Amino acid sequence: MKKKKYTSLVLGIFSLLIAPLIFPSLCPAVENEECMECHADDTLARTKSEGMKENLFVNQENFENSVHHANDITCVDCHSDIEKLDWDNEIPHSERLAAVFCDKCHEEEAEAYVDSVHKKAGGKGITIPCYACHGYHYVTHLEAESVLERENGFCLKCHNPNKFHEWLPQMETHFAYVECTVCHAPEVPRYINLRFFDLAKQKFLDGNELLTAMGTDYDGFMPLVDTDSSGIIDIKEFENFTYMLLAKDLRGTFHAELVVAIEPVVHHVNRGAANRECEMCHIPTSLFFENVRFALNKEDGTTEHHQVDRKVLETYYLKHFYALGGTRIRLLDQIGLAMIAAGAGVVLAHLFMRILTIPTRKKKMDHKI
Amino acid sequence: MDNKKLIYIHPLPVRIWHWINAVGMVMLVVTGLQIRFADIVSLFTLEEAITLHNYIGFVVIGNYGLWVAFYFGTGKIKIYFPTPKTFLPNTIKQMKYYGVDIFKGDPNPHHMTPDNKFNSLQQQAYVGLMFIFMPLQMITGLLLWRVNDFEKYINMLGGIKIVDTIHVLLFFFFSIFIVVHSYLATLGHTPLAHFKAMFTGFEESH
Ligand code: HEC
Ligand code: HEC
Ligand code: HEC
Ligand code: HEC
Ligand code: HEC
Ligand code: HEC
Ligand code: HEM
Repeated sequence: MKKKKYTSLVLGIFSLLIAPLIFPSLCPAVENEECMECHADDTLARTKSEGMKENLFVNQENFENSVHHANDITCVDCHSDIEKLDWDNEIPHSERLAAVFCDKCHEEEAEAYVDSVHKKAGGKGITIPCYACHGYHYVTHLEAESVLERENGFCLKCHNPNKFHEWLPQMETHFAYVECTVCHAPEVPRYINLRFFDLAKQKFLDGNELLTAMGTDYDGFMPLVDTDSSGIIDIKEFENFTYMLLAKDLRGTFHAELVVAIEPVVHHVNRGAANRECEMCHIPTSLFFENVRFALNKEDGTTEHHQVDRKVLETYYLKHFYALGGTRIRLLDQIGLAMIAAGAGVVLAHLFMRILTIPTRKKKMDHKI
Repeated sequence: MDNKKLIYIHPLPVRIWHWINAVGMVMLVVTGLQIRFADIVSLFTLEEAITLHNYIGFVVIGNYGLWVAFYFGTGKIKIYFPTPKTFLPNTIKQMKYYGVDIFKGDPNPHHMTPDNKFNSLQQQAYVGLMFIFMPLQMITGLLLWRVNDFEKYINMLGGIKIVDTIHVLLFFFFSIFIVVHSYLATLGHTPLAHFKAMFTGFEESH
């Protein structure tokens, strides 16, 4: 009995100690509002020793739209060396704060990042920090972003890819439809992302817009489209889906592009690691087209995905997407085979008749002479 | 053998055009096959096949320009167009010849002269080929060559898959055309007569 009491006491003290770590917002930590009293002022800046001005302004609205704010991460969760503000000083905290470590919350990504040309860049201890790519105060969910948004937001900030890909046929088209990391982070899973482009509005419809126009909602979408409840939208169901949209007067096209799944291995970018074998993609059995998903993008930057049969890529419902050879329309090959068989048949039959009738013609020639 | 005489039927520019075109088309078919069927065919890597296909495509397009320049420049283009009055009866006669009479050893109802080179079946086939199929194949090929730059025109035609469909169907057509065309070329007075003529320019007339 005595022993049990003792254990619960230890547990009690232990949980008291650990509570601030698990529920930081429960302890008397510094509120964001306190920081923003100064840092919401867009004129707050300091002059660095080199004479350059450094802005110390944090845009409150953008910060509140960030994924970190949405997950209750506060200023001091990142700037964790500020334990309290000392209002007696003009600057209520240390002038030189410690660098923020993203790693402490994003362990998996930090681990994956070790095996990356960017982590190793420079060699002399200089590494590219996480926020050189991601930014820090205004990080949003990445899932709903298109290939171009992803590329502009990351790789194109530092690289001019035109330099390295002269060998790549249809270079610009690849960049517009294939995210850099699909080739450069070979281990990351990828999928074909399908979105609906409204021709009347000249824009992509997000989940809400599309569902409202269809007269349904997130829960109603699959039961409406996936009529056999298989969890996959097959060709027939996709066809009906296009008719459904037409019936609601939604005129548009499906836009397809090849993107990576947002997973830590996406950071495994290395020199010379990209695949240069076109045949990896441009054959009908390519794994790159295995996974096809229709995207209903949400406002917070996340996406609800619905699995689509890859055979849909090989149809005319996607008139604007063709990965040479890889998503070719099989019916055309059958037509072609029939044409060749017919042509060759006529030739062979004619040749056969010509050989068969040699004696007839020989007789005639002899007769003439 | 006494009534045999040589007539100059294929002027030099035509012979040059023809053989460049023939070699070019065969190579386009072979590389095209590699491009579309990379899973089945492995004569080249896909990267090589695409590069070759693009270069040869431009040679064939330039060569088509030679054909246009010669035939329109000299006004000889009229040999491609039938005379309306005799067109239908000639077509029927010619079909009967290829289908029946040729086996009996009857003479060809069409008499080749420099100004009336093609029989009416040839006229139909070659007009379709040179004025519709070749231009369509060249235009769709050109659009596929720079998908990004020509996006506007591709979308006007209904999208990349439509443009590609035209290019592919014509590819199958040209593949079989080359076979049939070569076979028909053996139907001269000797199997090699027409081939020789396309090199020397002279055809024997009987
Ligand atoms: C009373 C106004 C005031 C408040 C409140 C305040 N700061 Fe500051 N902060 C400043 C000033 C002024 C500087 C510029 C210091 C200098 O001149 O180097 C600064 C600098 C910083 C820097 C840059 C430090 C560096 O190492 O370069 C960070 C980060 C920062 N503040 C975060 C915060 C956070 C987080 C809070 C809330 C917990 C906060 N501040 C509250 C005035 C304030
Ligand atoms: C996701 C982590 C994170 C959060 C949350 C965060 N910061 Fe920062 N902050 C950083 C990083 C990273 C830097 C820049 C690099 C460094 O100094 O280590 C930075 C820099 C700053 C700077 C220096 C000026 C600048 O923009 O570079 C100020 C001021 C600042 N933060 C204030 C704030 C305030 C105020 C909040 C809360 C509203 C906040 N930060 C929330 C990560 C964060
Ligand atoms: C070279 C640029 C780059 C650097 C440096 C980088 N990332 Fe990323 N990160 C990416 C890209 C690209 C994605 C995938 C997003 C996309 O494709 O749009 C990503 C995705 C993520 C994601 C979301 C994926 C997931 O696993 O949930 C997190 C979190 C993340 N990175 C954290 C980090 C952290 C932490 C670091 C530093 C250790 C870091 N990143 C360094 C480029 C970078
Ligand atoms: C105090 C913990 C903490 C710190 C420090 C932190 N993050 Fe986060 N971060 C989170 C949480 C929690 C999420 C939300 C995860 C989710 O929704 O799956 C998140 C989400 C993200 C995402 C979005 C992933 C997605 O789903 O698309 C990125 C990118 C990201 N963080 C980058 C960073 C970077 C860069 C830094 C350093 C400047 C950083 N984080 C520092 C806790 C943290
Ligand atoms: C913050 C700037 C920055 C961003 C963003 C960035 N890189 Fe880099 N990247 C570099 C630097 C600097 C090097 C050079 C490393 C070296 O030379 O050791 C590099 C190297 C590389 C290399 C190795 C080849 C070389 O030139 O040394 C590849 C491949 C690469 N990056 C791909 C990417 C991809 C893909 C993305 C997008 C996910 C990306 N980078 C985003 C800065 C960046
Ligand atoms: C179709 C696949 C593919 C796509 C898409 C692609 N790359 Fe590459 N990239 C390669 C290949 C293959 C190389 C040759 C070097 C190699 O083997 O890594 C290369 C080379 C590079 C290099 C030179 C580094 C080196 O390893 O020699 C950089 C930097 C680079 N790419 C950045 C990018 C960026 C940025 C994007 C997106 C705009 C991008 N790449 C898109 C396949 C691709
Ligand atoms: C006239 C004979 C031609 C034949 C038989 C032919 C055949 C083919 C075939 C079979 C394909 C593969 C298409 C697919 O898989 O969907 C193809 C692609 C292509 N063809 Fe042709 N083609 C011809 C002419 C041309 C010409 C004149 C050009 C102009 C340059 C051209 C340019 C292309 C291009 C650019 C591609 C796509 C390759 C890529 O994406 O880089 N073709 N062709």
